[in-house]
Amino acid sequence: MSPIVNRAKERAARLVPMPRVPRAALILLAVVAVLPLIGSAYLMSILIKVGLHAVIGMGLILLTGLAGQVSLGQGVFYGTGAYVSALLCLRFGISPWLAMPLAAAASGLLAAPIGRAILRLRGIIVAGVTLTVNLIFFYLVVSVSDLTGGATGLSQIPRFEYPKVVSYTTFIFYAVWLLAVLCLILTTNLASSRVGRALKSVNVLGHGTEDTPQVLGIDVMHFKVAAYVGAAVFAGVAGSVYAHHISVIEPHTFSVQTSVLVAIMVVLGGVTNPWGAIVGSALIVGLTELLREVAPIVLGGPTGSYELVAYGVVLVLTLLFLPSGLCSLPARIEQWRRGRRL
Amino acid sequence: MEASTVLQSLISGLTLGCIYAALGLGLFVVYGVTRVLNLAQGEFVMLGGMLTVSFCSMGVPLLGAIILAVIVTIISGAALYVLVIKPARNASGSTLAFLTVGFAYAIEGITLLVWGWEYHSLTNFLGSSSIHLWGATIFGQAPWVVGMTVLMVVGLYLFFGRTMVGKALRACADEPLGARSVGISVEKMALLSFVLAAGLGAVAGATITPLTMTAYNVGVPLTIKGLLAAFLGGIHRAEGVIVGGLLVGFAEALSAGLMPTGYHDAIALGLLLVVFLARPQGLLPARGEAG
Repeated sequence: MSPIVNRAKERAARLVPMPRVPRAALILLAVVAVLPLIGSAYLMSILIKVGLHAVIGMGLILLTGLAGQVSLGQGVFYGTGAYVSALLCLRFGISPWLAMPLAAAASGLLAAPIGRAILRLRGIIVAGVTLTVNLIFFYLVVSVSDLTGGATGLSQIPRFEYPKVVSYTTFIFYAVWLLAVLCLILTTNLASSRVGRALKSVNVLGHGTEDTPQVLGIDVMHFKVAAYVGAAVFAGVAGSVYAHHISVIEPHTFSVQTSVLVAIMVVLGGVTNPWGAIVGSALIVGLTELLREVAPIVLGGPTGSYELVAYGVVLVLTLLFLPSGLCSLPARIEQWRRGRRL
Repeated sequence: MEASTVLQSLISGLTLGCIYAALGLGLFVVYGVTRVLNLAQGEFVMLGGMLTVSFCSMGVPLLGAIILAVIVTIISGAALYVLVIKPARNASGSTLAFLTVGFAYAIEGITLLVWGWEYHSLTNFLGSSSIHLWGATIFGQAPWVVGMTVLMVVGLYLFFGRTMVGKALRACADEPLGARSVGISVEKMALLSFVLAAGLGAVAGATITPLTMTAYNVGVPLTIKGLLAAFLGGIHRAEGVIVGGLLVGFAEALSAGLMPTGYHDAIALGLLLVVFLARPQGLLPARGEAG
């Protein structure tokens, strides 16, 4: 090929950068591919939970890790995704495959005006307001019972159509983790793109400020709302998959408690690293399963108490000793070893 | 619409408003001195209520039970500062807030372990009974709740205005560096603010239990209402927090009385959110701000 064509190709590649796929993501995909062969159905169902929460958490990596805004209300968009997807199938009989992108779009559309209204505020107050929005969403879902089924929720939500070579749980497991890896690649690439740099410049939790980028001509509000909408779309997709996975949804799944727990997962894993969402989700879901099933039998006491204590202790210890989350542990150890060698 | 419904709503609104104002005062004391948004404030209220119930059931007279409950809750407040907040006091606001969330989870879990799932109640203080007034009912405990909040407000006013320690706390809130340079220990004052917030919370918890009942999980909703009150009125001023608390209480009660059943919670919260977004700096201006 002539050098001119080569050069043109190079320039085109620079203009439209090819997405970089981290090698660890490929390893994760390989592990995901073989796991159903050796894991039990119980393990699959837990790992589905981990994957779904990791997808919602990946949205928070965009919003908190990149744009520096804390949300304690992702349950709103998780719930919107689930209810819209379920209702589209139940009322209009459309395929879950079509309902899923529509539900994600609905979450994003709902997020845009909410984001515009609340992201004008600055600081930790945004977290308080998202909490209130989540509470309002919960009350509304319970009240509009003609549509949402009220406190009992919706049931008999149709499943995804799929080639029946594996069980439905295995299929959902593959779907959820494929989604998680896609979100991971997307988030990783976004972080090093022009948009990612703009987001980092408005990140008040990192090294950014809101006034300097504004002066430099970066529309701060625009980028913050975009990150909020992106996070909502992630949560919406997760909600849709959840609805078609378990076929029964009820409002408590999308309450303030869930939203706070997802935020905690991301803080535990590390908000600036997309892997943080997966690590944090695995830790919290794992702890919950372990303590809910095992601890009351071994130690006595009411179900649910040990996991609350464990969430609290793990969160406090992590924030005190590894403030950047568990994903910063390897770098920390490396730093410590280098320090000792000197 | 009947006049008695409106009257009933106003009475309930005042009672609820006083509860939320008490919550907001606890948030205000800690936020003012340390800039920490203490999302465990509702847990102090819950602990105060649960401990009072427990001490009472052991045969301790009510006043003694409340005092013991306040002491234990204060110890937990001091633990929150010393073990959780102080080691990370240079961290960002959101990290500090998440630390208090962690503490709140731990307290909730321990409470569930010790007391179980059940709801607990207390009899009305001094056996006061309900009063009927033009078709509306004032629950026997309601005047106690209102009285408690008024006492708290007066007490805090005197404490911050007339005592040296109170003035030192205010100095830390206004200008930590200046306070340190005149020999005030900012760490001690921060500890004191957590202790004060825990004490206020425990007294509130004991007083509202006969009216609202208590269980391991009542803390989080109380914290959210307190936050709403504090931000609505302006967390930088005690007056703002009280106005915010009353507003949240009245909005909730009037909405419950006048709006269609089922939708009233969402409507009340939605209206309050709109008011807040219209005036995010708080309804009362911060000191020094004109207008």
